[in-house]
Amino acid sequence: MSNSASKSSAGISPSAALGGGPLGSIGRVWAIALNTFREAARIRVLYGVVILVLMSNVLALVLGEMSIYEEQRVSRDVGLAGISIFGSLTAIFLGVFLLYGEVQRRTVHAIVSKPIQRWEFVVGKYVGMALVLTVLVGLFGAAMAAMVTYQGGGVTSALLKAVVLSWCEVLTVAASAIFFSSFSSPFLSGIFALAMFVIGRLTPDIAAATETAKSSWIRLVTKVTLEIVPDLHLYSVSGRNVDGDPVSVHGDFVSWGYVATSAGHGFLWIVGLMALAALLFSRRDFA
Amino acid sequence: MVTDLTKTYRTPFRRRKVEALRGVSFRVARGEIFGFLGPNGAGKTTTIRTLMSLIKPTGGTAQILGHVLPSRAARMRVGFLPEQPYFYDYLTVPELLDLAGRLFGIDRATRKKRADFLIDRVGLGRARNQNLKKFSKGMMQRAGLAQALMNDPDLVVLDEPMSGLDPIGRKEVRDLITELRDQGKTVFFSSHILTDVESVADRVAIVARGQIQTEGTPSELVATTTISVDITMRVAGLADDKVAALVARGPGKSRRVADELHVVLPADADVDAWLAAAHADGAKVVSVSPRHESLEDLFLRHIGSADSSAAAMEGRV
Ligand SMILES: Nc1ncnc2c1ncn2[C@@H]1O[C@H](COP(=O)(O)OP(=O)(O)O)[C@@H](O)[C@H]1O
Ligand SMILES: [Mg+2]
Repeated sequence: MSNSASKSSAGISPSAALGGGPLGSIGRVWAIALNTFREAARIRVLYGVVILVLMSNVLALVLGEMSIYEEQRVSRDVGLAGISIFGSLTAIFLGVFLLYGEVQRRTVHAIVSKPIQRWEFVVGKYVGMALVLTVLVGLFGAAMAAMVTYQGGGVTSALLKAVVLSWCEVLTVAASAIFFSSFSSPFLSGIFALAMFVIGRLTPDIAAATETAKSSWIRLVTKVTLEIVPDLHLYSVSGRNVDGDPVSVHGDFVSWGYVATSAGHGFLWIVGLMALAALLFSRRDFA
Repeated sequence: MVTDLTKTYRTPFRRRKVEALRGVSFRVARGEIFGFLGPNGAGKTTTIRTLMSLIKPTGGTAQILGHVLPSRAARMRVGFLPEQPYFYDYLTVPELLDLAGRLFGIDRATRKKRADFLIDRVGLGRARNQNLKKFSKGMMQRAGLAQALMNDPDLVVLDEPMSGLDPIGRKEVRDLITELRDQGKTVFFSSHILTDVESVADRVAIVARGQIQTEGTPSELVATTTISVDITMRVAGLADDKVAALVARGPGKSRRVADELHVVLPADADVDAWLAAAHADGAKVVSVSPRHESLEDLFLRHIGSADSSAAAMEGRV
C-alpha cells in the first residue's frame, strides 16, 4: 500500500493554486464560504430565530384582524422590522462567533497553514455568512409575502425594494461584526457591532437631537461618530423623508435608483470593512 | 533551515513576557526524519507554529524548501499536523480532506482519489461516514495525518504526532513516518517522549527552555561518552576463594548471579589486562560490552543543565 497513490503528482496545477491568480483565490474563498455555510446551518439558534420571526408574523396577522382597515399595514411593518432586526441580530451573532470560534478551537491552524492567504480566509467566512443571511432574508421575505397575499394584498414593488434594502443592511451589519471580531473578543465585538447598528440606524435622529447642543465638543464627537458608522438609516426609509419627500412602504416609496445607490454605498462599506478585517486578521498570532 | 529564531509572547493582562524561544537554530536535510525532542514547554510547538506562519517570530528567520518564510510557495509543498488537532466537527473525513484539497488547488477527481487512498492508509475506512464530532482523540490524530498528506507534500511537519495514541497507534505512526521518508519526503516531528524519537529519527535535536541543547544522529549523540565496560563471565566450577580473588582484583563493582559473575569496570580501566587475568584464573568470558550514555541520560542531562546559561550557549547549534 505504499506504492501507488503517493506517486501521483497530487493533481495540483501549480499555476491555478499558486499564481495568486483570481481563479485560485476564488476557489479558496469559495471553499471556505461553503464550509462556513455548512457550519452555520448546524447552529440551532438560527432555527429558533426563524421560528420567532414566523411567530411574530402570525401575531401580526392576528393584530391586523383587530385593526379593521390597517391589517396589511401591520403585516408589512412587522415583516420588514423582522427582517431588519432579526436579520441584523443574526448577522452580529454569526459575525462575532464564527471567526472567533475558528481561532478559539484552533480549527484555523490546519487552514491558514495551507496555501491560502489570510484575507481569502476572512472573505470566505464573510461570503459564507452572507449566504446564510441571504437565505434567512429570503425566508423572512417569503413569509411576509405569504402573509400579505393571504390578506388579499399584493406584493408591491415597494415591498420588494424594502426587502432588498433590509438585505443590504443585514450584509453591512455582518461585515461590521466580522471587522470587530478580527481583533476583539465576541463579547466586545458584539457590543461594538450592536452599538454600530443602533447608531447607524438612528443617524438622522441623533444628528437632529445634537444639532442644537450647546457644547461644540458634543457636536464634534457626534459628527465624527456618525461619519465613521455605516449609514444603515439608508436602508430603513419607510416613514422618513428622503430628499425632502415623505416615503412609506405603504404608499410612495423610493425609486429603484435609490435602492441601487444605497446598495452601492453598502457595498463600499462592506469592502472597506473587509479590507480592514483582513489586514487585522493577517497580523494576528494563532498561538 | 531555521536561524536564530526568537519568540517572546506578551500576555496582555499580566504584562508578563514569556521568552518561549531564545535563539533556536537548526537545519533539516532533505529526505531525513528529524526528531524535535524536548520536555513540555520547551518551545517545540512555538517553533513549529512559527514555521507554519501561524505566529510571527520576534526575531530570526527561517527557510523552508528554499523559500524564506512566510511563503505560500512553501506552504504548497508542506503538510502540517497541528498539536492536539481539532477540525470542523460537523464534517466527515472525506469532507475534511476535500476541503484541504481545495485549498491546495487540487482538482476534483484527484481530491477524491487521494482522499480515498489516505483514509485507508490512516485506517479510518470504517469511520468514513461519521462526523468528526464522534471521533476519539486517536481518530482525530489520524484524520489530521490524512489532511496533512493531501498535497503529497515534500516536507511533513508533525507536532506531537504520537501523543494521545495507544502503543499500537504509536507504532502505526512510526511506520507511517518511516514510509514517508522512504518515499523521499522530509519529516520533521516533535515529541516529548524519548523512545518515540529514538526509534525513528535519523537526526535529533534536543530542545529545552527555548534553545537547542544539542543536535545529531542518535548514535552520534550517545557514542561520544563511554560510561563503563560491562563484563559477564561464567565461573562454574571455580572455587569460591578463586572467585573472590577475581573480584578483589578488579577496580570495578561485581555481582554474582548463580554461575555468572557480572563485573562493571570503569571506563578508564585496563580491560584487556583484566580479561587476560580472569581467563588465566579459569573464568569463561561470555560478553564484554562498553556502556554509553543513553539518549535518555543525555536528554535528562540537557534538560537539567539548561538552567545554566553557559551550558545552554555551548549547546546552541
Ligand atoms: N500563547 C502563549 N502565550 C504565552 N506563553 C505561551 C503561549 N504559548 C506558549 N507559551 C509558553 O511558551 C513556552 C513554550 O511553549 P510550547 O512551544 O508550547 O512548548 P512545547 O510545545 O515544547 O511543549 C512555554 O513556557 C509556554 O508556557
Ligand atoms: Mg507542544
